[in-house]
Amino acid sequence: MEPQLIDHLFRHHYGRMVSVLTRIFGLAHLETIEDAVQDTFLKATVSWKNKPPENPQAWLTAAAKNRVLDIFRKLKADRKRVPDLGGGMEVIAINELFLDNEIQDSQLRMIFAACHPVLAPRERIAFALRTVSGFSNKEIASALLTKEDTIRKRLNRARKLIQEKDVRFSIPMGAELPERLESVLEVLYLIFNEGFHSNQSELLVREELCGEAMRLGQMLLTHSLTRTPNAYALFSLMCFHAARLKSKTNADGEIVDLRHQDRSMWHFPLIRMGHDTMEKAVETEDYSRYHFEAAIAAEHLKARSFEATRWEKILMWCERLNHVAPGVITSLQLAVVLLQCERWEEALELLESIDPKALEQRSYLYFGSLAEYHLKTGNSTLAIDCLDEALETVQNEAEKRYLLQKKKTLQG
Amino acid sequence: MKEFMMIFIGADYTAMGLSPEEMQSRMGKWFAWNDKMEKAGILRGGNALTPDVRRIQGPSRTVTDMTSAELKEIVGGYYIIEVADREAVEEVAQDFPDFDLGGTVEIREIMVFDQ
Repeated sequence: MEPQLIDHLFRHHYGRMVSVLTRIFGLAHLETIEDAVQDTFLKATVSWKNKPPENPQAWLTAAAKNRVLDIFRKLKADRKRVPDLGGGMEVIAINELFLDNEIQDSQLRMIFAACHPVLAPRERIAFALRTVSGFSNKEIASALLTKEDTIRKRLNRARKLIQEKDVRFSIPMGAELPERLESVLEVLYLIFNEGFHSNQSELLVREELCGEAMRLGQMLLTHSLTRTPNAYALFSLMCFHAARLKSKTNADGEIVDLRHQDRSMWHFPLIRMGHDTMEKAVETEDYSRYHFEAAIAAEHLKARSFEATRWEKILMWCERLNHVAPGVITSLQLAVVLLQCERWEEALELLESIDPKALEQRSYLYFGSLAEYHLKTGNSTLAIDCLDEALETVQNEAEKRYLLQKKKTLQG
Repeated sequence: MKEFMMIFIGADYTAMGLSPEEMQSRMGKWFAWNDKMEKAGILRGGNALTPDVRRIQGPSRTVTDMTSAELKEIVGGYYIIEVADREAVEEVAQDFPDFDLGGTVEIREIMVFDQ
């Protein structure tokens, strides 16, 4: 019988073991710990080639546990400060840390460390993907469309900062918790968006990032301290978006906009999960941006066709979103919805209030929307001008093709 | 039917910096290959070898450990299979998972002495 390994078992187990060992040895020894865990996987691949173990996960856990003493000896030889394994830290206590619920607890601590405010947002993302999710530097680089060297530098800086600022390996308590949890949610949101809005044409990579953000989100929902309405709302939002992920690109890797997506490809179990989660998110009346973004996503999913979209409803949610999370992106989103509601003047007024430079690489979306306005109000010359401006700023090949196609139709 | 040894040279994962995900995908391929040979009833044995190599050489029995530069060329493991002929082994060896990592499969027939 060919033994089946659970998808991503190695990757996720790496994250679990690094977290447990960090709880024993401290964040200061992260590099030694990561090397040791990597080594257990190498040993596994050699010894499993001919005879895989009955329970691979248990094998890997036992292997990591066996490394505790090795790491201890190595740190001691390097004259590093080490925990007192003989006295305070009894062998029994160490064994307990390898039990499932304690592993989960260690992983939550790692998530909080990774999302600590002493790190810049980009460092948080790289650090979380590496230490919690078990991505290699190369995999992080390819997922985030950057160079491996950039990621290496970010991680080095993060490790250094964590040591310098003496970041605690703990789940924050009391007044500190809400703020720190916000930072965690933001990082998961960013990781998810990297996958969902990525210019990365490979669906697999995008699915991995979205899947990882959702897995971490689910982890938060298992713990009483982190199971907050905002965490539920974010998870719900991720479910709604993820349900559409496959329909966002066609077989040739080209972007398909909402109007042209094959709605039969939407994944209904995820939509249902999103709605179930949303019910828990609205148990209090304190709504975050995640609540409103989830509501907008849910409204889109309700429509049987693009034409059947209830834009007035979406407009209402967008306005409320704009209230709690104002910014250029939200304004642009609102303008797009106003166009759909055929409220031309308001849309134009809002568009004119936006400085496209503030949108950076996404300024093509601004010009695309302005083109839409001119087109709808019967000025195709101006519409073509705007499309040209959009084409000048667009970087993503698939979006570029889409804009060119639109221009061609206009020129008839 | 004859017995053959497939010897795997090179493609030692240690120095390659494979990610956990990549290692798992390698494992999956090894398991599948192993399973295929077992189902075909041709597998007679095999082992994976650790990369720690010590050599004893010459009349003075000099003992040396292998340097890391030589590690690329070491034997990582072997399988013994029983099939009709050399062509059949070649066919089986097509599924060796590590060709893309620079690995080599050396095919050797096990010698049988006629009395």
